[in-house]
Amino acid sequence: MHKGYLCLILHGHLPFVRHPEHEDFLEEDWLYEAITETYVPLISVFDKLIQDNVDFRLTMTLSPTLISMLTDPLLQERYLKHINRLIELAHKEIERTSWQPNFQGLAVMYLNEFSKARETFERYNRNLVLAFKKFQDLGKLEIITCGATHGYFPLMDVCKESVRAQVKVAASHYEKTFARKPKGIWLPECGYYPGQDEILKDAGIRYFISDSHGVLHGTPRPKYGVFAPVYCRGTGVACFARDLESSKQVWSSIEGYPGDYNYREFYRDIGFDLEYDYIKPYIHPDGVRINTGIKYYRITGSDNHKETYVPAWAKEKAAEHAGNFIFNRQRQVEYLYDFMQKKPLLVSPYDAELFGHWWYEGPMWLDFLLRKIAFDQDQIRLVTPSEYLMENPRNQVIIPSLSSWGWKGYNEMWLQGSNDWVYRHLHAASGRMTDLAKIFPHADGLLRRALNQALRELLLAQSSDWAFIMGTGTHTSYAIRRTKDHLLRFDRLCEEIKTNSIDGDWLADIEYKDNIFPDIDYRVHQ
Amino acid sequence: MAIIRRIKERLKKIALKKSMRRSKDTRLAKKPSAEEAKKEILGVQETQIEKAKFSHPEVAVSCMRRGMPKELPSHYDQDKIVLQVRDPWWIHAYWEIRYSTIERLRSEFKDEFDRARRLLRVYDVTDIIFDGNNARSFFDIQVNDFTNNWYIDTGGPGRSWCIDLGLLLPSEKFITIVRSNIVRTPLAGPSWITDEEWMIPEDMFARLYGMGFGLGRSSPVGKAWQERIKHLLSSGVSSPGVTSVTSPAKRAFQEKKFWLVVDCELIVYGATEPDAKVTVQGKPIALRQDGTFTLRFALPNGKQVIPVKAVSSDGEDERTITPIVTRETR
Repeated sequence: MHKGYLCLILHGHLPFVRHPEHEDFLEEDWLYEAITETYVPLISVFDKLIQDNVDFRLTMTLSPTLISMLTDPLLQERYLKHINRLIELAHKEIERTSWQPNFQGLAVMYLNEFSKARETFERYNRNLVLAFKKFQDLGKLEIITCGATHGYFPLMDVCKESVRAQVKVAASHYEKTFARKPKGIWLPECGYYPGQDEILKDAGIRYFISDSHGVLHGTPRPKYGVFAPVYCRGTGVACFARDLESSKQVWSSIEGYPGDYNYREFYRDIGFDLEYDYIKPYIHPDGVRINTGIKYYRITGSDNHKETYVPAWAKEKAAEHAGNFIFNRQRQVEYLYDFMQKKPLLVSPYDAELFGHWWYEGPMWLDFLLRKIAFDQDQIRLVTPSEYLMENPRNQVIIPSLSSWGWKGYNEMWLQGSNDWVYRHLHAASGRMTDLAKIFPHADGLLRRALNQALRELLLAQSSDWAFIMGTGTHTSYAIRRTKDHLLRFDRLCEEIKTNSIDGDWLADIEYKDNIFPDIDYRVHQ
Repeated sequence: MAIIRRIKERLKKIALKKSMRRSKDTRLAKKPSAEEAKKEILGVQETQIEKAKFSHPEVAVSCMRRGMPKELPSHYDQDKIVLQVRDPWWIHAYWEIRYSTIERLRSEFKDEFDRARRLLRVYDVTDIIFDGNNARSFFDIQVNDFTNNWYIDTGGPGRSWCIDLGLLLPSEKFITIVRSNIVRTPLAGPSWITDEEWMIPEDMFARLYGMGFGLGRSSPVGKAWQERIKHLLSSGVSSPGVTSVTSPAKRAFQEKKFWLVVDCELIVYGATEPDAKVTVQGKPIALRQDGTFTLRFALPNGKQVIPVKAVSSDGEDERTITPIVTRETR
């Protein structure tokens, strides 16, 4: 008889980056890397589990912007070009390392991986969302939605209409993609402010996830800490809080698995290591070095000295760590079960990009973990939030605290010297959007297109990723440019709408470039 | 390589030091104890991994814009002040005043205006319906005419705040120019309010609390942490605070040492009849259309014997040339 539940959540999100006006755009690589290194490996793991008849339950966010990019024909085409180039590079690497057998073995490994990525991509008709939909339809995966463009809600509570738009646009986009309504939402950055759940309830969403202190600092005190969900006072929307103990084992830079010396080193990529003339065709056309995904070294130690990666050792470690993870969860669950007199729920959310992209062996670890949970033990049961609520409908009612899972646990990551300037513009634009929606309740034709596009531009400007990148201080010019571009386009649209002088050509141009959410309805912004 | 170092250094900066431009953050000035130093800043590692999603350097992109301004407007022609919460202690205000409003005030108060000070009056309006005069308390912050935003240390979590941007006249009379929205800062620790229906003893809650933050039995500092929370809960101290959970991590960052990396590659190239068959070290290679070829190899330490054999298309003729290359490194 199982003594506790484990809810593993993978949060898949990338900001909307699509530049049809350029042949080659550096930041689009974020998507291609994620496809090759995270999404395809995860899909392969799930496919194999199903093939081997292993039951599992996972929850996964696919953000609306990520889905939009994965289903966009231009980006799909560009991904194929990208993976073909990588396959070509892998071939060359195999040649170049003829006299270095341990490197050559790795080059062959990468060739196989890239070929597999291309094959999987084609097999799902270039639309990887279909794979995840398949897993959901088979009952193994519960896909939840996210803010339409991942806007950071706690810093949008002065313009709730925007929060409403973010949630509603996301919910209808989800429904169109998966032929069902979303049951849960991953709040961007787990950013919650009290009262936000009303908007979620309106959109039919039944639960969200918050960081631990969202519930632990809630009012009144939660009887079960983070080990059971709570209902929000007034709305009954459920809030699942992250268990830091289990998350830490994977996230932590001090005690977490990804830092093990046998695992692959992220920062030693041939894009940076190899001789310039050789690698030039595979890095940015301007000659700027970038990650290719081919990395030959393992972490080895805490200093700069790195040795060659040994896949067999890494695989062994991944199996060992999977076993260790379960062992710790079993101890945790046993202890809590006695303590609480109730089956505890452990909620462990992770960025999907952690698996494969950052922590190369992540998908392998996950595979070992899911198999071990299915066959090697019976104390822990994998569950999705919906399943948990169905089996445990009675939960405490509290008001969760304002919180996020970002740096320091509140809003500072997105509200600091480098990015606080954006909010006066975003809030002003939001106010104008609401006004427009009220002034034109039944727009048609060109006017309607302009209003819809205005909402698109506003949503794109609200992406919390821009403020995040500005906050990290590295490579900020792209993020700043995006914020300004979308706000300026919005401004111009507003002016043209108000003065009844809509420039049809220009509108068509930005509709083509910022083509997200084709079925958007500007009236949700109220 | 420089880019990698730069990324790591930035990360170090974010993790270890954050200085506010305009206001002092006394909380960060606190030195963490050895015990606290073992805990990680909430969200630091998540931030680093999220950053890896965007790990690419800057490239100057020339975008063509037809007749579009490149910069955002500096104001929106409104009188307003907006408050946002940053964390349990700090709030942020930004504001804008119309030029016409300033002029109106100037003509109304004439020479008192020139001697007036512009102030942010920060009201504590916790649990009351604020009518402008019934705040629990307030404090003033002087700002100059060019400032348009400010971070404010409210001194304590879990309270509601409202701010008036106004003028303090020489006669000590305060004129409100514009009033902000009301915000409420979150608690920095567990709530004092308990639910009758869902009661548990304080020490049990202390343990659950610690465990929720990953400071359970498996953590080396877990026990000490639980004791502290227990003590705080039972001693009736308000907002026990989770400041120690936000202490800097004691991560072994890579030392900043001077470094040099050198490696060698070998280029082997040649030419023959375009329709010949060529093997290098026994492996067949492809020729370009003009019969030339170029091969590039990583050259490790040791000796490489490289027989290059070409056979004519009719199989009648063959030639072999064998460069021998030795590399050693001192």
